[in-house]
Amino acid sequence: MTKKTDQENGGISRRAFIGSSAAAGAASILPKGAAAAPQATASTVPVSLPPSPQQMAREVGDARPPTTFRAAVRPGSDLIVQVLRDLEIEYVASNPGSSFEGLQESIINYGEIPNVMPEFISAMHEESAVDMAHGYAKSEGRPICALVQGTIGLQHASMAIYQAYHGLAPMVILVGRDDKHFLQAHTADDVAGVVRSFTKWDAQPKTLKEALDDIHEAYRQAITPPCAPTVVVLDAEVQKEEAGDLEIPAYRPPVIPTITTAQADKIASGLLSAKNPRISVGRFRTPEGIRRAVELADLVGASVETKSPEGPMSFPQRHPLVGPGADGDADYELGLEVPGAQVSLNGPHLRTLTERDLTGINFGGIRPPVRPRQSPPGENDLMADAEASLPVIISAVQRQTDARTRKTIEQRTVRHGKVNHEARMDALREALEKKREGWDASPVSTARIYAELWPLIKDLDWCIGGPTRFSGMHHMDLWDHDRPYSYLGGHPAAALGYGLGAATGAALAARDRDRIVINVQTDGDLNYTPGSLWTAAHHKLPMLTVMHNNRAWHMELMYVQYMSGVRGRGHDRAHIGTTLRDPYIDYAKMAEGYGMKSEGPISDPNLLAAALARGVESVKNGEPYLIDVLTQPR
Amino acid sequence: MTIMMKFKNHITALVAGSVFIFCPAGAQVAFGPVTGDAENGKQAYYDYGCYGCHGFNGIGRHNLANDVSGIMSNEALYLTFLRARADQNPLFPTQSMPNYAKESLSDEDALDIYAYIRSFKDDPPEVEDIPALKAILDAAKE
Repeated sequence: MTKKTDQENGGISRRAFIGSSAAAGAASILPKGAAAAPQATASTVPVSLPPSPQQMAREVGDARPPTTFRAAVRPGSDLIVQVLRDLEIEYVASNPGSSFEGLQESIINYGEIPNVMPEFISAMHEESAVDMAHGYAKSEGRPICALVQGTIGLQHASMAIYQAYHGLAPMVILVGRDDKHFLQAHTADDVAGVVRSFTKWDAQPKTLKEALDDIHEAYRQAITPPCAPTVVVLDAEVQKEEAGDLEIPAYRPPVIPTITTAQADKIASGLLSAKNPRISVGRFRTPEGIRRAVELADLVGASVETKSPEGPMSFPQRHPLVGPGADGDADYELGLEVPGAQVSLNGPHLRTLTERDLTGINFGGIRPPVRPRQSPPGENDLMADAEASLPVIISAVQRQTDARTRKTIEQRTVRHGKVNHEARMDALREALEKKREGWDASPVSTARIYAELWPLIKDLDWCIGGPTRFSGMHHMDLWDHDRPYSYLGGHPAAALGYGLGAATGAALAARDRDRIVINVQTDGDLNYTPGSLWTAAHHKLPMLTVMHNNRAWHMELMYVQYMSGVRGRGHDRAHIGTTLRDPYIDYAKMAEGYGMKSEGPISDPNLLAAALARGVESVKNGEPYLIDVLTQPR
Repeated sequence: MTIMMKFKNHITALVAGSVFIFCPAGAQVAFGPVTGDAENGKQAYYDYGCYGCHGFNGIGRHNLANDVSGIMSNEALYLTFLRARADQNPLFPTQSMPNYAKESLSDEDALDIYAYIRSFKDDPPEVEDIPALKAILDAAKE
């Protein structure tokens, strides 16, 4: 069968169309008289009229939207970017949307050095964008922004926001809203309502001035304990309007609640008069809290308990004062963001925000969103931010310390250091005996991954960006968690799909700080939002991903096994819906497809160390890397 | 099944477990003969999900390699333990060892699994002979 030409069909071919148009266009720019344009006669009337210049431009792919009166000399979104810049927001993680092209254009084009502070980070999914903000916040103790489309993008983001809320992660989520010119399904009267139950504060400003003020307030709210995500809905009109001579408002930092001087004096007296004071440290807001806690512990010679192997912003794990101490019986205990000590300083709790549950989600119904303390606060349970209170306590300690006390403290510090070191060695020897079990097993033991990694990174500035509970948390015993960001902790809402995005956010923080991020990544978690592999490759983020590939949602496999046992109907089908078999997933190929260097799968444990070395070297050179390791289930 | 029967099962499981738990420290447990087929047991160990907690090689959340488990000292005790595990609806999802009723795991398959488990040997190098672990220990000494 012969295909008819367009001419035979009475139409006009695309090529002929362009050719004739080009001829017509060329003729139109020739000087008068240089060529006589053929005159159309009744017999030569073309079947199609020549395209207009606008049609022509569109045909050859050079179309631009028409310039209208709406173009602004000083667009409102430029001022929004300037506010973010003044707040030192390093990144805006975003998946592009049709309600914030004004703001996106300002981020990438505004200023003498555009697309820096903030830099636009391309996320493949709004959930990934928020997870990146989450990882960054835990790493640095400060916010970046996620920028999402109204309604649809915000719903994509909602799970990650819920997780960030439980994770006490400060971030400002900017949401585009176009109420006039786009799809009805993309807008709403109350855009933030869908996430109000698990955000701390939100606003939907009507004017540019309100928008600038609200971004300031959103930032303040996010970093004021209890830290949490906040939302500002930015109308497309506000982003595009002419700002004229509107001035950017001055930022006022928040007032963080602290203890009183009298309370600080009492605590200082308790610490100094005790024979064996002890300080328990939870999670501070920022690295400054850690610095001050170390200063206080050194000043009073107290033994210290830390949470740093379990999460960010706690006391350095290998500080000589960390451990059981020379005397196990503490006669004065100070808790810093840790409840239950003799005197505890705890910032406001998330449950103080439950009145925001306006949509009736009711946070699970069986218990409040965050488990309440076991006992009601006593008179020594002070609701104040520990980090902000530490300067007052340190000052009081310095005032009350005399020469004799100082000498006692020095002697106690030496005793603590000696005993803590011995305790550390005993614990380590015991742990190493456990870690060597299954050392040569195939698939690879999860302990071996951590053990082989440590010599390669111990002299680098490193951060464990993703959760490690499923892969055994072997770093707790083997690695030294001495930095605020050594380990960023688990899934705060115990929800998968978080690890890769959070690690990518940690890698954003790491990129310009000569730091590398380790991400021991479970396979089930990766498959929720694998697109962050591309984000890491695209932005050249220093992230080494080591797959804990047990080819299952393993915890759920065990749940179903147990239930099969209860009902006596066979365990041999428990793999249905709980395993990743038939076919197996090739994570090295997946990473390669996203443009990330990779290798694997590795099941021979003797090949692991060399692969890890290649991975660390690549990451040090600014190229993220993925190693697929077939592992024991746990 | 009545509540009393469930309670009885719990007690049986406890007794079975206590054989191991209450062995004096350092005492050698005498291990009985193996009658199952370890080769068949290898597939069954996988199919019935034993690897989930005990690892592909008997090293996992609960180790079985090197005959460390008193429950595995003879086939009868092992079978009793399998059958007598708790079988009540748990209030929350659990990763505890499931109940393996005879209807869902035959004695024959169970004994094949037993044979396979008894074949597990783990002979890792000493800490001093593993460079990565030795480096960690040496660094901590400083």
